[in-house]
Amino acid sequence: MSTNPGVIGGHAAPMLDVVEVKGNTMTLSMGPQHPSTHGVLQVVVEVSGEVVEKAEMEIGYLHTGIEKSAENLFWTQAGTVVERMDYLSPLGNAMCYVLAVEQLLGVSDRIPERAQAIRVMLCELTRVASHCVWLGTGGIDLGAISTFFYTFDLREDILDLIELSGGARMHPNYLRIGGLNGDIPDGFLGKLDGLIEKYPKRMHELRALLQNNPILRDRMIDVGIVSPEDAIAWGLTGPALRASGIAYDVRKAFPYSGYEKYEFDVPVREDGDAYARFLVRLEEMDEAMRIVRQVRAHLDTPGPIMIDDPKIAQPAKETIALSMEALIHHFKIVSESFRVPPGDVYQAIESPRGELGYYVVSNGNNRPYRVRTRPPSLYNLQTLKLLAPGNLIADLVVMIGSLDPVFGEVDR
Amino acid sequence: MESMPGQFMLGKLDDVARWAQSSSVWPLTMGLACCAIEMMSVTNSTYDIARFGSEVFRASPRQADLMIVSGRVAQKMAPIIKRLYDQMADPKWVISMGACASSGGVFDNYAIVQGVDTIVPVDVYVPGCPPTPDGLLYALNLIQAQIRQGGRGGIFAKA
Amino acid sequence: MPSSQTPSIAGLALDPTSVRSEIADAEILRIAPGDLRAKLEALRAEGFSMLLDIGGVDYLGREPRFDVVYHLLALPAKVASLAEVGTPRRIRLLVGVPESAPSLPSIQDMWPSANWAEREIFDLFGLTFEGHPQLTRIQMPHDWEGHPLRKDYPLRGPAREATPRPAFALKSNVPAGAPPSGKTAAALQKQIARARGQAPAPDGGADS
Repeated sequence: MSTNPGVIGGHAAPMLDVVEVKGNTMTLSMGPQHPSTHGVLQVVVEVSGEVVEKAEMEIGYLHTGIEKSAENLFWTQAGTVVERMDYLSPLGNAMCYVLAVEQLLGVSDRIPERAQAIRVMLCELTRVASHCVWLGTGGIDLGAISTFFYTFDLREDILDLIELSGGARMHPNYLRIGGLNGDIPDGFLGKLDGLIEKYPKRMHELRALLQNNPILRDRMIDVGIVSPEDAIAWGLTGPALRASGIAYDVRKAFPYSGYEKYEFDVPVREDGDAYARFLVRLEEMDEAMRIVRQVRAHLDTPGPIMIDDPKIAQPAKETIALSMEALIHHFKIVSESFRVPPGDVYQAIESPRGELGYYVVSNGNNRPYRVRTRPPSLYNLQTLKLLAPGNLIADLVVMIGSLDPVFGEVDR
Repeated sequence: MESMPGQFMLGKLDDVARWAQSSSVWPLTMGLACCAIEMMSVTNSTYDIARFGSEVFRASPRQADLMIVSGRVAQKMAPIIKRLYDQMADPKWVISMGACASSGGVFDNYAIVQGVDTIVPVDVYVPGCPPTPDGLLYALNLIQAQIRQGGRGGIFAKA
Repeated sequence: MPSSQTPSIAGLALDPTSVRSEIADAEILRIAPGDLRAKLEALRAEGFSMLLDIGGVDYLGREPRFDVVYHLLALPAKVASLAEVGTPRRIRLLVGVPESAPSLPSIQDMWPSANWAEREIFDLFGLTFEGHPQLTRIQMPHDWEGHPLRKDYPLRGPAREATPRPAFALKSNVPAGAPPSGKTAAALQKQIARARGQAPAPDGGADS
């Protein structure tokens, strides 16, 4: 390993210099740069013709050391790196982190209702945006390239809303411990109404493009069937688990941030194949917009969006020039954050991929001691070991797409 | 290039080559992390990189001109990026998209290479975490300007 | 700005897991490494069918040094509706692993999902799992030295630990120690004066 600063250290995992041929099988390296592996995944497949005999996955090509970085940042800062794990639903990561820390602080029941409602709304919009990417890239994997343009157009509207409220399209650091970083600005609700109105027609177009398309059905039905027992044994959660018949959704089982107030269904199918996972996610998008419409009705009445505690919430900028106390609190929170009482907590949310859990440990300091992530994509992706053998390479592509892994989360 | 009466145009072959190259810079499909999602957004109908000539993203490095390193470069991925860069045919350009690719970004730790320019030569750096698709389009425009105004490329295209 | 050195833990809780607050997130049980497999079998028979996660924590300074945390969830292992799933029980098994015997039995034959989780703990903490079919590094390159998530492993890795922060300053085109030219400050003063209407606008001067 070189000691030259800035130079890479070490070799990667099995780098195949040539395609190996052994008897009747050929060993190929699919990835880590590949148009269809949804990120940096290396699947070393032993194929006999087009049929996969063995598939070994190599991950770690995006290992970022986020958990170690979080241990060296303040509680208020760690949310920014944690947000970059599952980069298709950054607000989901932030939500789980702030909920966990609020539990450790003991202030979970003092978060204002408006903040909770906006958090739920943004999480559901993020769910739709994430499923848009899944659908668009899933379509590209199958050759249905036009779907991509429709879904990403819908995603642009959602990203506009996230940018309007949080300041950035993807990693806004808008969800803070104690509430939110500022209220939603003027014009947000108008844009949200526009999206709510546009959505049903766009969804109808997407379904018309894909749902009964004979090629899609041929490629997805009976591909990658996961039985309920296997799903449990392999730790599968999220839409993939619900497509195998088990109706476990963290929002219903362990409601957080006011989800129990909203009416929504949890789509479940029993076939367990890629097509069932496809249908479950489409229906989830509809249910997510249903929640957004319900939250929208609550947002007309103004209210506080940050907890009323000067030790946790930065005082309003206007008060800093007037009150010495406000200035001191602001300075302390920004320069050295608050301390979180010692303890450990496991907080889970329903991310678009499944149960995202954070096991957060505090030793009383102003930095997290440990932020262990339970990444749904890691466990979802592992089931490929079960599903791949005996299928075609083309099916492998469909299966990876239907499991919807995000490598920022798998590798962290 | 001058246009002369009688449907003649006079110009240097090198300029014609540069005009063609800058109008058809095809990127390599190499998305690493969050920036890759914004790179995908730059191909959608709102931002539409195709109107600048980047009509297709080629999966094979042999067929691509531009490597957009979009995302954080982990220790394991670094040799792969070097190998992909080596496999690309000349002339080739590199855009380092985002803070992580340019300098390690928010991740100043053991796992992330502090700037992809320690591995491959970079032509344009795009700041942002992630940069908006507009930023990436501007970077592409800068590459096109570099090509047209005498940078790498042209009729005797060499590295 | 975060410090580049992990702060000392003197004066802070050495064992946060012994501080039990009123957070009702899961049932918690601490067991010894030798009882792990038996306890997991018993819990599985009780209905804790899904292994959600295996995580590691390094409590440097505490004996035993490491904690390996098993999160289990009691879901029905068959087709089940929302009502049948209900509010499943959660349990968190904490296993203290000493540095002198950094090893645990592997449970990947009980739950195949444990395969990668155990490899990751081996990679990042250095704990071995007996009986694991392929205990190799999973996140770091295969010839990496050291276990990054241990508390005594520097954040930036041993190679760059001593490099000044931020590293990109080394790439600047202004040599270190170059005195400020004053041009920028003068230009800024001119700009302010213009904005106040005290000075005429320039016609494209070089330092406007």
